[in-house]
Amino acid sequence: MTDPRFAEIESHRPYLLRYALSQLRDGPLAEEAVQEALVSALESVGSFNGKSTLRTWLTSILRFKVIDLQRRAVAERAHLQPVDAAETEDEAWLDALFDETGHWRSPPQAWSDPEAAFEQRRFWEVFERCLDRLPQAGGRIFFQREIVGEETEAICKAERITPSNCWVILHRARLALRSCLEKSWFASEHSLGR
Amino acid sequence: MAGSVNCREASRLLSLACDRDLEAGEQQALQYHLGRCIMCRNFESQLKYLRRAAERFRAGGA
Repeated sequence: MTDPRFAEIESHRPYLLRYALSQLRDGPLAEEAVQEALVSALESVGSFNGKSTLRTWLTSILRFKVIDLQRRAVAERAHLQPVDAAETEDEAWLDALFDETGHWRSPPQAWSDPEAAFEQRRFWEVFERCLDRLPQAGGRIFFQREIVGEETEAICKAERITPSNCWVILHRARLALRSCLEKSWFASEHSLGR
Repeated sequence: MAGSVNCREASRLLSLACDRDLEAGEQQALQYHLGRCIMCRNFESQLKYLRRAAERFRAGGA
């Protein structure tokens, strides 16, 4: 344990777990994939050449582990968590965000210099906390769509939901994430006085 | 007027536009609304921001 990159590799574990969970939809299976990927990464860290970021390199290792485990999971389909029907019914939660005339209850504010937040480690902690607060399928599907960059069609197929259910879930996740970032970062003291 | 939308519907269309091309009627109703609503224009730029943040997050964050 002398390579300083060991600790750095370990620091990407939460991201990798989120990635694995978005693909595998199964906690223990995702943990297993990440564990295997980290072990492989530690063994081959000497071959990491810094051409991509460390996270990108780790993700590429994890992707193969995920595919392996996905093959195994196909045999035990019942194991996978299906999307909860309640998450695709949009009326109730939309009523909480918009009044009876369809206006914003708390209108989105203009965020000042949001790109500057990217440079701050604490912003990414807030970002991860906001991702954690999304409803289960919402967080998973948002991750696949926006962070992995998967097309909605492929996501629907994997999640076995209709495109319109998928769009409802994404709409809800984006509204929730926006609102969480505004409350926890852009309208709070974190972003002021810098 | 026909084809006009409120903020609730505009937010739905803005999110939808991240996932598929809008139809002409949807696009027109949305643009009409955005021309008059600063709040939904804020939401629109925040959706684009979320996408840039997601890309950054994929590469490793800060």
